Amino acid sequence: MSLRSLVGRKNGGKVLLMGNEAIAWGAVEGGVSVAAGYPGTPSSEIIDSLAEVAKEYNIYVEWSTNEKVALEVALAASYCKLRSMTSMKHVGLNVAHDSFMTAAHIGARGGFIVVSCDDPGAWSSQNEQDNRYIAMQAYVPVFEPYTPDEAKKMMIYAFQYSEDYGQPVMLRSTTRVSHATSEVELGAVHRLERKPVWEKRPDLLVYDSAGARRNRVEMVKRFERIVNEVDKVPFNKLMVVDGSKKGIVASGLAYGYVKEALNLLNLDGKVSLLKLGMTYPISKGLVKNLLENVEELLIVEELEPIAENIIKAYAADQGFRIRFHGKDLIPLIGELTTKPVLQALTKFLGVESPIDYDEVSRLSEAAARLPPTRPPVLCPGCPHRASYFSLKKVATRVANNPKRFGLEQVFGESTSPIYPGDIGCYGLAYLPPFKAIDLAISMGGGLGFANGLAHIVKAPIVVSIGDSTFFHAGIPALINAVHHKARLVVVILDNDVTAMTGEQPTPGSAVDALGQPAPRVMLEDLAKGCGVSYVQVVDPSDFKRSQEVLEEALKVDGPAVVIFRRPCELVRTREMRRQGVLPEPYTVDQAKCTKCMICITSFGCPAIYKQGNLIQIDPTLCTGCGDCAQICPHNAFVQALVKTA
Amino acid sequence: MQTSVERFDVLIAGVGGQGTILASRIIGRAAVIAGLKVRGSELLGMSQRGGAVYSHIRFGTKVEAPIIPEGTAHILLSFEPSEGLRYLHYLSKNSLILVNTKPIIPQTVSSGLSKYPELEHITQHYRSYATTIMLDATALAIQAGNPIATNSVMIGAMVGSGRFPLSTEVMLQAVEESVRKSLFEVNKKAFYLGFEKVKQILESEGKADVAL
Ligand SMILES: Cc1ncc(C[n+]2csc(CCOP(=O)(O)OP(=O)(O)O)c2C)c(N)n1
Repeated sequence: MSLRSLVGRKNGGKVLLMGNEAIAWGAVEGGVSVAAGYPGTPSSEIIDSLAEVAKEYNIYVEWSTNEKVALEVALAASYCKLRSMTSMKHVGLNVAHDSFMTAAHIGARGGFIVVSCDDPGAWSSQNEQDNRYIAMQAYVPVFEPYTPDEAKKMMIYAFQYSEDYGQPVMLRSTTRVSHATSEVELGAVHRLERKPVWEKRPDLLVYDSAGARRNRVEMVKRFERIVNEVDKVPFNKLMVVDGSKKGIVASGLAYGYVKEALNLLNLDGKVSLLKLGMTYPISKGLVKNLLENVEELLIVEELEPIAENIIKAYAADQGFRIRFHGKDLIPLIGELTTKPVLQALTKFLGVESPIDYDEVSRLSEAAARLPPTRPPVLCPGCPHRASYFSLKKVATRVANNPKRFGLEQVFGESTSPIYPGDIGCYGLAYLPPFKAIDLAISMGGGLGFANGLAHIVKAPIVVSIGDSTFFHAGIPALINAVHHKARLVVVILDNDVTAMTGEQPTPGSAVDALGQPAPRVMLEDLAKGCGVSYVQVVDPSDFKRSQEVLEEALKVDGPAVVIFRRPCELVRTREMRRQGVLPEPYTVDQAKCTKCMICITSFGCPAIYKQGNLIQIDPTLCTGCGDCAQICPHNAFVQALVKTA
Repeated sequence: MQTSVERFDVLIAGVGGQGTILASRIIGRAAVIAGLKVRGSELLGMSQRGGAVYSHIRFGTKVEAPIIPEGTAHILLSFEPSEGLRYLHYLSKNSLILVNTKPIIPQTVSSGLSKYPELEHITQHYRSYATTIMLDATALAIQAGNPIATNSVMIGAMVGSGRFPLSTEVMLQAVEESVRKSLFEVNKKAFYLGFEKVKQILESEGKADVAL
């Protein structure tokens, strides 16, 4: 649902929202003035949604170059006493970590919320990590909603809370909150007509060591106050059941699974239960009350045993003698669901499971093996497909016979190319048919890794990196390659957007987050500015030129940059549809097709398929990009309309 | 409008781009209109690019978690014949399975990396698990005027089965809130084609009362 449709709705009404929309709407109701982020699943829809209503509510919204810049933009606004927020995926906070730590030392003057969207189960991430640890390290309190509706309420509360205690706060969401839906109750929109206040305070903002020490003292004091008053925070709820000697603590999202499991066991309301909505620091008052009433306690939380360790330490300190369960019964790895929670509860409470999970698996496993594998693929018409077709071809040709290219001194007799890659849609080129990405570790990491390889291996190294990824974290590594004469071909895949996360603009786009005209930062200027002497821009659909350029680039002694520039096909076709223009699909001239299969085994457009003995094109998938017509050695692909004309 | 439902769970399976998310939002919106609590979860991101996708949509006074507990879903809507087979562990013997028979053949099959199962074989697996209705929803959507309305055919079929607790009026109101204005009539037509088709199938199989 577009947030724009909520503008002017009356209070108290309920609408269905996705978690990220609810977080964005909570920010609107809570009086946010500045919001900055960098896209990343599962966080992207927060800034996307805020951008939709930015003008309406006079909010400054931007897609920043990376998470660190986004956090700094929000920090500046908070310092100037405006309410501000930044949002990012869990690994984004690793990028912003340096400034995040110092921001916590400086404190918040306008309410300051860092929305961290974690991805337990690593559905679309390079790792699995629990950002509560990062918050704890920074003395930053953490709110963890269990539904979109609660996320909205927490955002409103957290702005005020952050201001009251002078400390940034974290709203920690996860995939199953951000990409979940629930009914959300709309409230009044409080727009604060605040004027930003810039105050010259080098004692607070300049890092001489005296300042750092003083700020740390102040930060610890602020946190002491937070801890002392933690019992006042709503979103925590304790229900003590008289006579029940067993209790459960459910942290954040785990509350949903615990309630669900208790319902299935018909035990809801029969066991003492503490719901934690603020998961750091943890309410000592409520924990004490619970501990006084139970002999055995199960702590249910996703990923790390943080609440478990805190509560155990507190119990030991207070001399409680309780039998604790946590990660002995609840998985440490992956996301929670009702099943593992219910299984833990049956053991903990000594009751029978109403569901025979062994039987369920036995009956369903054979069927689950039947469907064909359906890995995500590059879209029909994706420019990356053309780029990788040429890249793979040229790199292999040169590596197979370096002598033919006068490169035997450099690469020896015969070798294989190495393909450091990165994260983005183009990352799908690690799969067949290309297999032209050998590593993708972190944003920008491929180029850094390649810097290391260049000095120790004797093989053509072709690094690929997306435009958004290059702006985000590629530039320092490119400068490093220039300065240390690393022999690399750096292919920048410039599709004008951050495609993987939903086609957000990059600094190279002609528009900003709100769709307003914005100056383009040109990749070729950047590469030249970094000191790269060989820089070429090519349209990957020009296969001949692309391959010539790649061959030249492989001959350069030092870093060479090849920019493949063609817009994301999703964006191009959407724009066409908006103008009422329909794609003109290609078709196969069966008289010319020799079934050599190159289009399937080396190119792999999902619109092209084999049926029986014939190669066919699915007209509903084909976007009419025409790349197949160029790679077919037999000119068997023809545009349907041209043919009939 | 208040309906009393404790818990009702629908799992939707399909391929990225088939409109499974829109379908789950329509069901979710209908439940909000009916004054119920709603919990749902969608798979976004990587899997949108032609991969296998699912969404869970749940409503009622007692739903709490965003994901359906395994072994308890009420209805499985499979937008593609084989896709639903991945999720049978969410169902029970009492579930209802509705399957669109129009396959989407992935690249991995063309290039020989995997095989597409026979429709008959697929049907058997569903039937051995729970009551199953197979229908060519894509063809019905085309009949209604646009293959894009396949999700409305599937939703109409679900309502037509008599096993879904929300009313036709509420569902159509949610469809209207969820699709572009210019496409509402096509979607309404598609909804009724699915609705009627399932009624016919149940009657011809003599299962009309079982379905209630
Ligand atoms: C630190 C970090 N931030 C954000 C992401 C999420 N993310 C994955 S790929 C990507 C960028 C993709 O854009 P681009 O490099 O332009 O490639 P495209 O998808 O357009 O091919 C982002 C932001 C991430 N994985 N890690």
